[in-house]
Amino acid sequence: MSPRELTFHIFRYDPETPEVKPHTQTFKIPEEPAMTLFVALNKIRDEQDPTLKFDFVCRASICGSCGMLINGKASLACKTLTKDLPSDITLFPLPAFKLLGDLSVDTGTWFRDMSVRTESWIHTDKVFDETAQEEKMDDDLSLEIYEAERCIECGCCVGVCATANIRPNFIGATGINRVSRFMLDPRDKRDEQEYFEVVGNDDGIFGCVGLMACDDSCPIGVPLRGQLAYVRRKMAVAGWHRK
Amino acid sequence: MYLQKALTKSIRTDFIVEMVQMVSGLLLVLFLWTHMVFVASILLGQSSFGALAGFMDKYELLPVTVVVLIFIFAAHIGAIMRHLPARWAEQKVAWRHAKMIRHKDTWSWLFQIVTGFGILLFAFIHIVAVTYGGISVSLSKGRIDNPGFLIFYAILLLMSEYHASVGLYRIFVKWGFVNRHRLDRVLGVVTLLMLVIGFVTLGVFLTLKVAGGGVA
Repeated sequence: MSPRELTFHIFRYDPETPEVKPHTQTFKIPEEPAMTLFVALNKIRDEQDPTLKFDFVCRASICGSCGMLINGKASLACKTLTKDLPSDITLFPLPAFKLLGDLSVDTGTWFRDMSVRTESWIHTDKVFDETAQEEKMDDDLSLEIYEAERCIECGCCVGVCATANIRPNFIGATGINRVSRFMLDPRDKRDEQEYFEVVGNDDGIFGCVGLMACDDSCPIGVPLRGQLAYVRRKMAVAGWHRK
Repeated sequence: MYLQKALTKSIRTDFIVEMVQMVSGLLLVLFLWTHMVFVASILLGQSSFGALAGFMDKYELLPVTVVVLIFIFAAHIGAIMRHLPARWAEQKVAWRHAKMIRHKDTWSWLFQIVTGFGILLFAFIHIVAVTYGGISVSLSKGRIDNPGFLIFYAILLLMSEYHASVGLYRIFVKWGFVNRHRLDRVLGVVTLLMLVIGFVTLGVFLTLKVAGGGVA
């Protein structure tokens, strides 16, 4: 069987040359066995257009750099096999993030801001003793924390979120997932009211309108809907208690 | 910290508004379904409908219902406004976004806004008609016999059942506990059932011969 010819419709825009209006450019390449979008995009850049901008680092769905809209669905280009796609493939950069050019967006600034706003560190007044034996954590609990920790910050959940697209201050599913991780962690001494000040508002959990595009998109399957519901329930209790 | 935030006494406002949105929504669904059961009493015969209308009349329930309903409507609209893409630019982003990501629940959110505004307008007309006309078999029959009103009620029925179904789905999805796709199916069946009852009721009114010269 002869290989399929893949037709890519790729979004092109460089903010440095605004006189060239945003448009989609078409590229054709022959499909190869076990081809990922990572391979296909590199081929296009090597052989057809060296100016095409896109981000990659690990090509193993660990670094979270290559999130993009693939035929409308947000996912990682490195873990998407072309054989799972129709021969016409439309690629857009992730919405909601600062567009650097073509398929490349700046997720770093966004995530840095989210980390600061959710105060993503263990809050404790305990002084660290490097000679003491490490404190043990219950296996089930550590697995639960790990479930949230698996987030690779690709930004797919933020890109597809309608609220994040119209409310730039909304911390998104990844932000709420991050908070849930600290809520579970017994080493973090924040009480429910302190968490309420962080996420008990419309920029946090009560800004979520429940469209669950995040849950439908997470390329590594963090159970975002469960995390959102968990934080929502916790914050409802905290809101109820609050004077 | 910002000045306006420092001056804000309670940071609970967003939480309270979210609760108002949910509770008012649930009350509206409850009202919608009760209303449907009441109207569908015509399926059991004109005397059942007449008895219910008489009961509402005797205890002056109609004006009470209307006033309470207007308050719940106002609370629901007031609470929901904060989530809406209110500015023109936001509207454009929301629609373009739904088209771009081809996501069912994102589309249903936009339809929710459209049907929400539709219900607001249609329910207003309906409430005015009922408040000034009263409730009886012959009055309902008279309205349904008018093709304009028949289409009006068919559209109001479709919009309100859709809006209620999506709204309920959203509440369950947001608070967790239930399987999303099973929930979708269950609500789909409930909504279909309500629509069938609603359309059968409309059909019954259309073919009805009012007994006793229209006194119910």
